[in-house]
Amino acid sequence: MAARLGSWLDERLGWRRVWEAIFLRRVPKVNWLYTLGSATLFVTVNQIVTGILLTIYYVPTPDQAYETVRYISTQVPAGWLIRGLHHWGASAMVVLTALHMLRVILHGAYKYPREVTWLTGVGLLLIVLGFGFTGYLLPWDQKAYWATTVGTRIAEVTPLVGRWILLLMRGGEELTGVTLARFYGVHVWALPATLMMLLLAHLYLVVRIGISAAPTRGD
Amino acid sequence: MSEDRAVNRRDFLGAVTWAIGALLGAGLGIPAVAYIVGPALRRQEVQEWIALGSSAKVELGTPTLFKAKVERTSGWIVEQRELSVYVLTDNGRDFLAMSNICTHLGCRVRWIADQEQFFCPCHNGVFAKDGTVLAGPPPRPLDRYEVKLEGGTVFILGG
Repeated sequence: MAARLGSWLDERLGWRRVWEAIFLRRVPKVNWLYTLGSATLFVTVNQIVTGILLTIYYVPTPDQAYETVRYISTQVPAGWLIRGLHHWGASAMVVLTALHMLRVILHGAYKYPREVTWLTGVGLLLIVLGFGFTGYLLPWDQKAYWATTVGTRIAEVTPLVGRWILLLMRGGEELTGVTLARFYGVHVWALPATLMMLLLAHLYLVVRIGISAAPTRGD
Repeated sequence: MSEDRAVNRRDFLGAVTWAIGALLGAGLGIPAVAYIVGPALRRQEVQEWIALGSSAKVELGTPTLFKAKVERTSGWIVEQRELSVYVLTDNGRDFLAMSNICTHLGCRVRWIADQEQFFCPCHNGVFAKDGTVLAGPPPRPLDRYEVKLEGGTVFILGG
């Protein structure tokens, strides 16, 4: 039954070729370090799923943000788990992305013909850091408030445009509810949209060009 | 010969991968369902006696409107809500307390003194003095509260 349905769909969609191209493609002999990219992708999926779930209760306003986070952690069934996965997943995502990049640097895997894969990867790293920075403010507790105060002041040190960056980030001189709302908007709309585009390009190139073999003596 | 075995290495690893995926999916999926439906299934909080006011204010034979402030917790928000209750007594000893919320679609009913009827402005529902339906779409009489009298104060049981 399932096989017949699969064939019926394949006749119309040609999904088997896509499946084979993605999952049954030939790869060079590699080691466990080559799983860091997949690991990052896995954590990304985790962040998307748990992040969507958190928006069901989270409210990004100064009077309610902290209360809703506490409500999620203490009142909602499995809320502690969903929030915990998102919280620790965020750290894991930064660590895994960095390790993945290190592996690519050390193996020289960014070279021809994979320059564009590398560049989209650099973009993805910046987005991951952006997620971490904006997400850190959302619980709206003392740690979040002061970390963002310091973080935006660090951005202010940028030559020439620093002052403008600070004003743009905070949405004014002070760190207020305006800041919270725009950080939330960036965290759940702007960054995910950009992430999806870059991620699809990145994965397409990985499948299209294939991954590089581990370098050997003489390479 | 590996081809002769019932399960070869490739198929085995494939099956293991699917199994781990299913396990992870269930591990996140089941808590996710509990997380989403949790507040929807939460039972109403315990009921308590709410003081409405002095029983002396209730006119004999005329439903009298009382308002009481109650604290309600909805999710993470604790708020004061106003409860409006019509209290009726014919002898000053037995009291009847009715909600002023129309049983049709939840509008507020009003006591029309010269017609001796409750009237709902939304869809012309009409209730008698004791809350029974006289005309219009309401499917059942006005909801009643359990009443008790203590030291001259009318209490209702609500939550």
